[in-house]
Amino acid sequence: MTSSAITIESLTRRYGSRRGVENINLSIPPGSLYGFLGPNGAGKTTAIRVLLGFLRPTSGRATVLGLDCWSQSARIKHDVGAIPGDLRLWPWLTGRSALALFGRIRGRDIRRRGEELAEELSLDLSVPVRKMSRGTRQKLGLVLCMAHQPRVLILDEPTTALDPLVQDRLRGILRRLAAGGVTAFFSSHTLSEVEDLCERIAIVREGRIVADSTLDALKQQAHHEVFIRWAPGGAPHQAPPFLSLSVHTPECWRGRLSGPVGPLVRFLGECRVDDVRIARPDLEEIFARYYENAPPERGRP
Amino acid sequence: MNLGPINIGLVQRSLREVIWTTLVLALISGTVSGLLAYALPRVQARFMQRNFIPPGVRQFRDAIFGFDSTGSSVSDIAFALAWSHPIVIALLAAHAIIVCTRTLAAEVERGTVDVLLALPVSRARLFFSETAAWLLTAAVLLGAVYAGSWTGARFIPPEHRPDFGRLLMVLCNLSLVYGVIGATAMLGGVLTDRRVRAVLATIILTIGSVLINFLYTLDPSLEFTKHLRFLSVLDYYRPVRMLMEGAWPLRDMAILGGAIVALWTAALAVLSRRDVTTT
Repeated sequence: MTSSAITIESLTRRYGSRRGVENINLSIPPGSLYGFLGPNGAGKTTAIRVLLGFLRPTSGRATVLGLDCWSQSARIKHDVGAIPGDLRLWPWLTGRSALALFGRIRGRDIRRRGEELAEELSLDLSVPVRKMSRGTRQKLGLVLCMAHQPRVLILDEPTTALDPLVQDRLRGILRRLAAGGVTAFFSSHTLSEVEDLCERIAIVREGRIVADSTLDALKQQAHHEVFIRWAPGGAPHQAPPFLSLSVHTPECWRGRLSGPVGPLVRFLGECRVDDVRIARPDLEEIFARYYENAPPERGRP
Repeated sequence: MNLGPINIGLVQRSLREVIWTTLVLALISGTVSGLLAYALPRVQARFMQRNFIPPGVRQFRDAIFGFDSTGSSVSDIAFALAWSHPIVIALLAAHAIIVCTRTLAAEVERGTVDVLLALPVSRARLFFSETAAWLLTAAVLLGAVYAGSWTGARFIPPEHRPDFGRLLMVLCNLSLVYGVIGATAMLGGVLTDRRVRAVLATIILTIGSVLINFLYTLDPSLEFTKHLRFLSVLDYYRPVRMLMEGAWPLRDMAILGGAIVALWTAALAVLSRRDVTTT
């Protein structure tokens, strides 16, 4: 019995001399919605391919539900639903025949659950894949990866090509599944959906994890954004050391606060202030900061 | 649902993918085989009535047979020619290459491998299932060749008809030749992510193998080809001898069978160990 649904220990995967992921560690508890963030080429898909047993780790280990992702890959997939970043299905399938076929391959009837999910995602199961738009194909992929009621979902940019309404429904489904104990590990570069859905995120940059935390904790670590409008003649001559300013005029200051808010409040108490705003940055800004000064990406498989 | 090492769902999927190709090729192969069975005995009988076969034709014929066919009957020669005719061999090779390069090269190329490998089936089971689907379609194709020959022979004089029991031996031997081409294509298909590479490699190896068999017979001055003939699949396929002597070519069949097992096992080992990427 394992306490983590997904565990990655010192995982490195290289493509010859090129980097894939480098010494990453993750532990994802059951029932969590876990976001895996990073720009294209950062290593998200490589990590997912290792989890799905497509790639053998160069070093380190990855397990899902306590089973090794390379040597016990087939067993793992009984309890895993996965959708690739660029979903392609056999063109002769229809939604209905896909449910029947995948059920036969999995050795269980997934049609009823699949039809329920299709209804929820507004998917017409009678349309052949070759006539489906990318978004419709993505919906079918989502139905197929959830219809067998997996314990772990591994989703590589699952909302790609989905319209906002369906994205919202998918979020609802994922929240409901997570409440029932299903673990969802999903990669994205759409920060807003991760911010909206995930309790915990990891940010990957150049194959390395540069942050692995809850969203709240990440926001706590981040600098506050400060805006101060001074009353006429109220602006001090010099900014305190905990405030680094990007705008510095006699009328207003704008900048970042280092450390807790208390010293700033005390400082402002001694000045004549017209208006003040102290805000934590949203995830978008945190994400951008983690990528600040990152060197350009090299081409990778 | 699994049947031993085979997943029935995967077999159905593979059959769905190749059934039309198989049926079209089977129809063409059966028709060609039938026409050859109908026409060649007449042509051969005419040659024999005149008691003259142009030297070039005899040399070419013996190159195809890999065997001195002097003294054989009309039906032996005609049906041996029909069963080693380049069109028949090419159609069989085309089927083997089309079906057997699907795993993994075609799946990687069109991106469906991500969905395929996300299913709870080991790569070995996937390979066994693909092989089962291949063998089923191969049975249809080879059956069509035999049925074509049998049907064509209905329309020729009884004295020119072959011994259909001996023709079954030829069918078994030809199936093993077909199997070697298919197993080579399977190995090519798992070694590369580009189907065109697997197809080209198999075509080049097949044509090279056939040429080796012909070259020495057509031009004995090419001494080195004599020592390379063992590399040719056709060196282990002598329909005229089977039709004449009625003896199973056990050594030839064992060598072809061994080659199939070796190539197939190598393909399985590569597939089980290789990394899979689509981007």
